[in-house]
Amino acid sequence: MLLNIKNLQVNVDKKSLLSAINFSVLAGEHLCITGPNGAGKSTLLRTLNAMMPLSQGEIYLQKQPLQRYSKKHIARQISYVPQNSGRALSFVVEDFLRMARYPHVHWLSSWQQSDQTALETALEITGCQPFRQRQMMTLSGGECQKVMIAAALAQDTPIILLDEPTSFLDPHHQADVQQLIKNLHRQHGKTIIEVTHDINHAGQNADRVMALKAGELIWLGQAAQFLKNPLLQTLYQQDFVFVQHPQTGRNVALTAQSL
Amino acid sequence: MNRLQAHPKRTISLLLLLAIIVIAASPWLDLQSISSAEIRQQILWDIRLPRLLFAFLAGSGLALCGLVFQAMFHNPLATPFTLGVASGASLGAAISVYLGLNFFLLGLSGQTLSAFCGALIAISLVYFISRLRSGFSTETLLLTGVAISFFFSSLILLVQYLSDVNDAFQIIRWLMGSLTVVGYDDIRQLAPFVIIATLVIIGFGRELNLLMAGDDIAASRGVNVNRLRYLLFFITSLCVGAIVALCGPIGFIGMMVPHICRLLIGQDHQWLIPASLLFGGSFLIICDTLARIVIAPAELPVGVITTLLGGPFFLWLLIRNKRLLA
Repeated sequence: MLLNIKNLQVNVDKKSLLSAINFSVLAGEHLCITGPNGAGKSTLLRTLNAMMPLSQGEIYLQKQPLQRYSKKHIARQISYVPQNSGRALSFVVEDFLRMARYPHVHWLSSWQQSDQTALETALEITGCQPFRQRQMMTLSGGECQKVMIAAALAQDTPIILLDEPTSFLDPHHQADVQQLIKNLHRQHGKTIIEVTHDINHAGQNADRVMALKAGELIWLGQAAQFLKNPLLQTLYQQDFVFVQHPQTGRNVALTAQSL
Repeated sequence: MNRLQAHPKRTISLLLLLAIIVIAASPWLDLQSISSAEIRQQILWDIRLPRLLFAFLAGSGLALCGLVFQAMFHNPLATPFTLGVASGASLGAAISVYLGLNFFLLGLSGQTLSAFCGALIAISLVYFISRLRSGFSTETLLLTGVAISFFFSSLILLVQYLSDVNDAFQIIRWLMGSLTVVGYDDIRQLAPFVIIATLVIIGFGRELNLLMAGDDIAASRGVNVNRLRYLLFFITSLCVGAIVALCGPIGFIGMMVPHICRLLIGQDHQWLIPASLLFGGSFLIICDTLARIVIAPAELPVGVITTLLGGPFFLWLLIRNKRLLA
């Protein structure tokens, strides 16, 4: 068990954002976190690498409480791709990836061969090589999201947290980024924890899916079981109809209005 | 990326050359009018050289502190001056003039210590007030800074009003910011602060790069963002407090210099730190030389020159980069 979350509770300004959350993340799994807006998905993600303090409960990383580790140690285990943020940054792609080596580089030591290898591998896996010298501000949304994922890869961690990596992307780039995430998981053995609103992506591609509502964990199970009523009905207060995916045979959910 | 940005080492060399030229040339300007060689020597070594060194230290210190604030808040308008540190330090110094605090503690004058306290109180107020509202934003921080600046400025006016004529005049002259130091004592007082701040800031170059990318990204890469911010706040407030205590609030250097350096050399703090240091020092010497010769034989306070340059620069930044406050 890679991560073990016990009775987690987060309050901000006396308002409860998350309460009584218990779950584990297995090494090498792809876990999608879904739920309506304001359910606490991003908050949960941000607690997992100690970016957000807990009000109660404990998170265990490799059986040790998270807060026992230094920030740098956590950053060598868990990387994070924030929601739609890269395009505001005025860095050259390569420099941005270089900065991601921070937890591995000692205060006084210089850039090592291993750092360069990690950087090149990240560029290659994500297909960011053609624009490695470009300013991030000049990239398209899809390219930028790949750079953000490349930076997480350059950070070289077994666990990657992704916060809505495909929101704001057109269908082509959505598919592209989703394929990339799938590769990271299947070919490179990364443990992926992804917050997403794309319930069909969660249902088709993840190993397990977690559903949060109003700060509570209301469902956690195999992805194949996720796209069903009454779960989705309860989760979103919305009627869904289901069709079968022609290849996987799994359910695909459509909102009743879209028919 | 322009040509200068592509060759940071060359740009640093150019800035170093500029610093050397400015340091070498400035003390000789306007010296010929004095006929006696002996007096010329005296002016050169006892007045001009200490003033030059002092200007370089103060300029470098202000530029570096400005650079750190811009990185911490991801906004070129966030500087120790716009965030109220300088007005806090000014209030502290004005109160010490009013109360006649003429003591020395650990080699620091009552005025310097009082300015420190003012600087720390101002920045703590700004920081904590802007955090009261959940969802901390740079916009709130800047507006809080402006509000605190106004508040402290009105307190300075109050102190002036309550002071006698002599003290009030001393406060006013000092508020204009000037580098009329005589001898090397002030340099000895200022140097430790600027040097310590410089060393700390150089030590955190990588962290500053990550802070530029945003708190979330910095934190997820392993930077202890809050601890780093407190430390940098403290160090820069001390440095700005010392500078303001000794030569008054010399405005806008902390905003203009780092911004120009970013245009010259890019976003990497490995280069930005030495660039700001060199250019900040040279820039203040240039402004001070101008202040000295524009209406010679009289002298303008250097703060008037930097503010005259800085006001339009501030507006130019606003117009050029509409996203800044968005």
